[in-house]
Amino acid sequence: MTEAMLKPRRRWNRRKTQKWLIDIAVVIVLLIFALPAIWIVFTAFRPGNEINVTPPVWIPKKLTLDAFGALFGLNPGYSSGVPVMEYLRNSSFTALLSTSVALAVGTMAGYAFSRFDFRLHLTVFLGIMLSRAVPGVALGLPLFLVMRRYGLVDTTVGLALVYTAVNIPFTVWLMDGFFRQIPKELDESAYIDGCGYWTAFWRIDLPLALPGVAAAGIFAFLAAWNEYQIASLITKTPKSKTFPVGLYDFTSQFTVDWRGMTAMSVLMIVPAIIFVILIQRRLTEGLTFGALKG
Amino acid sequence: MKTNRVLWTVLTVLIVTSLMISACGSSATPEPAPAATTAPVATEAPAAPAATEAPAAQPAQPAEAMMGPDGRASYAGLDMDLTGHTIRMANIGGSPYETMYDQIKLFEEKTGAKVETVFLGDGFQIDRYLKENYAAGTVDFDVAWNHTSFMSQYAPFVEDLNQYFTPEELAAFSAPIIKAATIDGALQLIPRHADISALHYRTDLFGDADLQAAFEAEYGYPLAPPTTIEQMQQMAEFFVAQGVVDYGTEFAGKEEALAGRFYELLVANGGNYFDENFEPVFDSDAGKMTAQWMKDLYEAGAIPSDTPNLLWPEVAQNFCDDKVAFYLEWYGWYSYFQDPASCKVAGHFDLARGPVGAAGDIHTGWAGAHAFSIPKAAENKEGAAQLIKFLTSEEIAYEEAARGSLPVRDDVWARIIADAAASDVPLDKTRLELAQLQVGTDFFTPPLFADWISFTNLWYPTLQSIILGDMTVEEGLTEAVDQTRQMMDEAGYYQ
Amino acid sequence: MTDIQTTETPIAPAGQTAKRTRGEFYRRQSRFPLMLIAPAVIIILVVVAYPMIYSLYLSFTPYNLLRPEKTLVFSVDTMFRNYGKLLGDRIFWRSVGNTVIFLAVTVNLSYFIALGLSQLMALVSRGQGIMRTLLMIPMMFAPVLVGFQFAWFFNATVGLVNNALIALHVIQSPKPWLIDVPSGMISIMIATIWMNIPMLTIILLAGTLSLPREVFEAAEMDGAHAWQKFRHITMPLLRPFTLIALTVLSLDIARAYDIVRIMTGGGPAHRTEMIWTYAGRLATRDSQYGLASAMSMVGVVLGVVFTLYLFRQLIKSRVVY
Repeated sequence: MTEAMLKPRRRWNRRKTQKWLIDIAVVIVLLIFALPAIWIVFTAFRPGNEINVTPPVWIPKKLTLDAFGALFGLNPGYSSGVPVMEYLRNSSFTALLSTSVALAVGTMAGYAFSRFDFRLHLTVFLGIMLSRAVPGVALGLPLFLVMRRYGLVDTTVGLALVYTAVNIPFTVWLMDGFFRQIPKELDESAYIDGCGYWTAFWRIDLPLALPGVAAAGIFAFLAAWNEYQIASLITKTPKSKTFPVGLYDFTSQFTVDWRGMTAMSVLMIVPAIIFVILIQRRLTEGLTFGALKG
Repeated sequence: MKTNRVLWTVLTVLIVTSLMISACGSSATPEPAPAATTAPVATEAPAAPAATEAPAAQPAQPAEAMMGPDGRASYAGLDMDLTGHTIRMANIGGSPYETMYDQIKLFEEKTGAKVETVFLGDGFQIDRYLKENYAAGTVDFDVAWNHTSFMSQYAPFVEDLNQYFTPEELAAFSAPIIKAATIDGALQLIPRHADISALHYRTDLFGDADLQAAFEAEYGYPLAPPTTIEQMQQMAEFFVAQGVVDYGTEFAGKEEALAGRFYELLVANGGNYFDENFEPVFDSDAGKMTAQWMKDLYEAGAIPSDTPNLLWPEVAQNFCDDKVAFYLEWYGWYSYFQDPASCKVAGHFDLARGPVGAAGDIHTGWAGAHAFSIPKAAENKEGAAQLIKFLTSEEIAYEEAARGSLPVRDDVWARIIADAAASDVPLDKTRLELAQLQVGTDFFTPPLFADWISFTNLWYPTLQSIILGDMTVEEGLTEAVDQTRQMMDEAGYYQ
Repeated sequence: MTDIQTTETPIAPAGQTAKRTRGEFYRRQSRFPLMLIAPAVIIILVVVAYPMIYSLYLSFTPYNLLRPEKTLVFSVDTMFRNYGKLLGDRIFWRSVGNTVIFLAVTVNLSYFIALGLSQLMALVSRGQGIMRTLLMIPMMFAPVLVGFQFAWFFNATVGLVNNALIALHVIQSPKPWLIDVPSGMISIMIATIWMNIPMLTIILLAGTLSLPREVFEAAEMDGAHAWQKFRHITMPLLRPFTLIALTVLSLDIARAYDIVRIMTGGGPAHRTEMIWTYAGRLATRDSQYGLASAMSMVGVVLGVVFTLYLFRQLIKSRVVY
C-alpha cells in the first residue's frame, strides 16, 4: 500500500533518491524521538563516575554491567539493597495473571458484544468502557479501604485482581472490533452444521481472532506491568511491591541513585520489548482491524 | 495457520507461567531489603532529622563485644527468659539500621525469644503503615518504630512507657529528649539515636585571607562562621557575589523539610507556629521576618534556583560537591562528607552551633530522635519492653555511635568522646563535643500534635509561593494562618 | 481491511434488524451472550463499581484516616460539606484549571504530532518493522519511569537539558525548568506527549495505510497538491481513526498523574497542581480521605464525561460511515 501511495512519483527521475531521503528523514526523526529512552538505557551500562558529573560526559567511555551486578547483589560488598527478585516475581505474577484472566474474560465479552444483540447492549458496553476512565488515584483510595477489609492489601493476588478489572474494558473493546471482522456467515454455517454456541466460538471465531487476542494481550500486559498509581496505594512491602513502585527505592537513598534506577528500568522494559517485537506486526494489523470497526 | 499456533503457545506459556509464579510466590518468604550501599546509605531521609542518621561509612561493630570498657556487661534486656515468646516488630529499613538486625540475633540467642519483622519500610512508608494499622485496629506488632517528629500522631495508640521502664533506667537517657517525648505525662517512646541540626561550613572559604579582607571592608565585621540568622544572609550574598561558590547557603525547599527548617528559624527569631491553645500565630513579626529572609535569599540568588524541588539528598549533594559555603544540616551526614571518595568537601569543612535569631538567645536546633514504642494493642508487651531495653542499652548505643549516630544516653557520650580524642581527625572530637552541647541545650522538636504532617503539607506550598514571589509575605502568612485555623478547628483542637 | 462498508455492523440494535431475522443463530438464545459478559461485568462491579460507590459515600463524610471513629459519620446536614469546601478552595480551582489546560494542550499536541509522524511513516518503504519498534519504545516505558526520566533531564543541577544548553552556550547559568512558570508545566507536557505519541501514531498509521488508494489517484489526476489531498481526503477518511485514537488516549489520560507526581508533585507553590496530585496528597499524606474522595469524584466525572463524549462521537461516526 505504501508503494501505491508513492506510485505517482515515478514521473520523476529522482524517485529513488527521494525515497531514500524520506526513509533517512523518518529514521532521524524517530531516533530523536527515541533519544530519551536510549539515554536511559545507556546510563544503566555506564560506570558510576560518568553519571551526574560536571561537565557531563556525553559519549560513554566504557560500558559496564556493574549496575546490574549491584542490582542482583553479585558485586561483592556492593549491593543496591533493592529486592529486585521479589519485584520481578511480583510484577510477573500480577501482570501475567491479570493479562490471562482479562484476556479470557474480555474475549468472551467482546465476542458477545460483537455477535449478539441483547437488552442494554450499548449501556453495558459503555459501562464497561467508562470503568476504565476512572483515574487510578480515584479508584486506588477507596480500593485500599475495601481491600484492607478483606485482607487483600499488600498481596499480589489482590493487585492482580485489580489489574484484571482495569484491563477488561480495553480488551473487550479490541476484541469486539476483531470479532466484527470475522464474517458472521461462518458462525451461521457452523450453527447449521450442528455446532453449539461454544463450539462455534471456540472452533471458528476464536482461532480467527487470535491476532487480536495477541494485540489485546500486549496492551493488557503493558498496562499491568507499568501500573503505578494503584500499586503505590495497595502494596507496601517486597511481598507485593512491583517494579514501578520499586523504582522509588532508589530515591530514598542519600542521593538519587540514577544508575541503579536506570538498571532496574532496563530490566523493566526487557519483557515489554520482547513482547512488542514478537507481535509487533500483528499489533498494527490487529489495531487496524479493531480500529476499522471500533 | 502457523502464526496462530505461535500465539497459542505464547498464551499458554503466559497462563502456565503465571500459575507457576503464583505457586512460588506464596511459598517464597520475601527477604528484608539488604543494606544499601550504592549511595552512602539508604534512609528515609526526608522525614525528619534523626531520619538522616549516620551513613555507614565505617563497618558495623561486631556484636560480640559483650563487655563495656570497664568490664561490665552493659547490654540490657537480656536477663529474662523469653523462650517461646514471639516479638513482632514494625520497623524502619535502611542501612543505618542494619546493625539492628545483628543485634536482634544476639537478643534471640540470649533470651530464647523469636523476633519477627512484620514490616520494614522507609520513614514515610512505616509512618503510613503505622497510621493505617492504628486507625483500622489491625495492629499486628509488639514493637513499633517511632520518631519524635511523628510521635504525636500515634499518641492515642501507644502505651505510656513509664509503666515498663524504671526511673533509674530512664535517667540514663538525655533529659531533654525524654521530656520532649512525654505527652500529657505519658512517655511515648524510648529513643535509640538522635540528630540535631548544626551549621556546616567550608573552612577553606572562611579561612581565606582575601575573602576575609573583602568581607570586613564591605560589612564592617570580620568574616567568621555566622552566629546570627542575619549574618547568614549577608555572608551568603557575599560569597555568591565573590563568585567563589554557586550558592551562599541552601535549605531543602519542600514538604516537611521546608516547614521544619522554617520552624527552626522562626523559633530562633522568637516566634512559633502555635500558641499554647493551638492557635496559629506564625503571621507574627518573627514569621514575617523568617519568610522574608527566605524570599530575599532566593531573589538574591544566594540559594539554589531550584530550591523548591530540593530535599535532603540534593542539598547534601550540593554541599558535598563544594557548591555551597555553609548551611544547616544534621550530623548524620558526617561520615559521608568526611569521605574523600564520596565528597569534594571532605577535609575542609567544620561544624558550628546553630545561629541565633532576633530573639537573641535561642539557637536553631531542630532535632529529632529515632525510637521505639509499644502499641496499646500489642500482644506481647513484656517481651516488647525487653527488646526495647536491649536495643536502647548502653552497649548497643555505643556500637551505634561508633558508626556515627548521635547517642541519646549520657553514659555513652563520655565513651565516644574519649574514643574520638584518640582519633587523628580533630573534627571527630570537636564535632561530638558540639553535638553534646547542642543536644543538651538547643534540642527542640517540631510542635507535638497529631496533625503536624498535615499542617506542614498545608503550609509548605504557601511558603513556596512566598519564596518564589507568587504571593507577598503578608498575603501568604495571612492565608496560611487562616487555613491552619480552619484545619485545626475541624480536627477538634478548639472544642 | 478496506471493505469497511460491506461488513459494517453497528452496535446500535436498530441497524442490525435486517440481518437478525435471517440469522436465527444470533436470536435464538439470549442467555449465551449474557453468560459471556457476566464474568467481565461481575469483576468490574466488584473491583471498580463497589469501591467507587464507597468512595462516593466517603465523599459525604469528613473521614480522616487518623480519626476513623470520629470522622466516619454520615449526616445529611453536612453531607455536602466537602464539596462546599472544594468550591471555596482557591487551590482546588487552580488545580482544575491546570488539569483542563494540561489535557487540552497534551491531547491536541499529541494528536497533531502523531498525525504528522504517521504521514511520514506511511511514506517509508523499507524497514517498517524497525521503525515501528523505534516508535513504540516510549510505550514500553512505564509512566512512572517516564516521569523519573524527564525529571532527571530537566533537573536544574545535573539535568541533561541544562548541561546541553550550557555546553552549546544557549544559556549561561542553569535554569530551574521544573520551577519556573511556564517551563514547569511545559516540561510535564513534553513528557506526557512523548508518552502518548506511539499509541496515537500506530492507530493513525494503520488508518492511513488502509485508505483506499483509488481516491488519491483520482485526486491526483485532477491535479490536487499534497496538502489538498491531505486536507480533503486523508483527514476526513481518518476521522474514525482519530476518534479511536482520542478515545484510547482518554482512557489512559490519568496515567499522566504518575508523570506529574514524580516531576513536580504538583508544586512548587501549586504551580503545576492538578486534581489528581491534589487529591492524592490529601489522602496519602494528610489522611483526609473524605475530602480527597470528593475531589476524586470531581475528577472521575470530568474523565467520564470526556470519554463518554468521545464514545458517542465514535458510535455516531460508525453509523454514518
